[in-house]
Amino acid sequence: MTELRLNRALYPRAAVDAAVLVYAPYGALEVVEEQAHWVVRVTAASRDRERRIAGQLGNYSLGLSATSPAESRP
Amino acid sequence: MLTPIEGIPGDLLQVDLEAASVALTVDAALYPRSALYGAAYIFIDRCFVLLDKPDPDHFRVTLSWKTQDASAEALRALVGEFANELLSCAWRAQIAEENRAAMEATTARVLAGAMGPPSLDDLEKFDFTDAPLEDPLGIAMSWEEKYGKKKGAQDEETQDKGGVQE
Repeated sequence: MTELRLNRALYPRAAVDAAVLVYAPYGALEVVEEQAHWVVRVTAASRDRERRIAGQLGNYSLGLSATSPAESRP
Repeated sequence: MLTPIEGIPGDLLQVDLEAASVALTVDAALYPRSALYGAAYIFIDRCFVLLDKPDPDHFRVTLSWKTQDASAEALRALVGEFANELLSCAWRAQIAEENRAAMEATTARVLAGAMGPPSLDDLEKFDFTDAPLEDPLGIAMSWEEKYGKKKGAQDEETQDKGGVQE
């Protein structure tokens, strides 16, 4: 299992949820809420695949966070 | 394992060769969040970018090559390019902030011009009781007001002509 820790001050929940929805077909994804982070747990067939899914998911949610209107950001 | 790069303080930049990643710490007072997003967005086609905020005064940017066979030199070049892009984005954000009022005023005038001349209904609703524009230098004066004959001189001229006005 690989953990992706996305800071709640930089990644809105909506962006994380949208990214999880996109990458859900590629592996088992679980979002856990921590005090400062959204923790996305990625489980896939191999470690390399988990890394790739986590990385792409992070990029996708970063893209959504960056392009979301400033007032909707945390 | 995280290791510092020679010539750069270890608390600013650390490299993990096994994970083909590099972590850069940036000052949140120098680089606004919008600049960070802008710079990070440019790199998401080349590497995995992860942003974090370890403390209120700093951001941490982790760049990982999508393939895990990157050399220390490649990572150094990558993070250098990112730092330059971040600086550029911060500068552009500052320029935009300083000129926001001018840009908004210009855009409003352009849009107002693009709407075309006012209709009769618009003119009917127009409030002519508004105070006229300020003109401390007396520029908004008609030619007659500024250079026309004074009233006294005009009366004298009328008398010279036997009281006949032209």
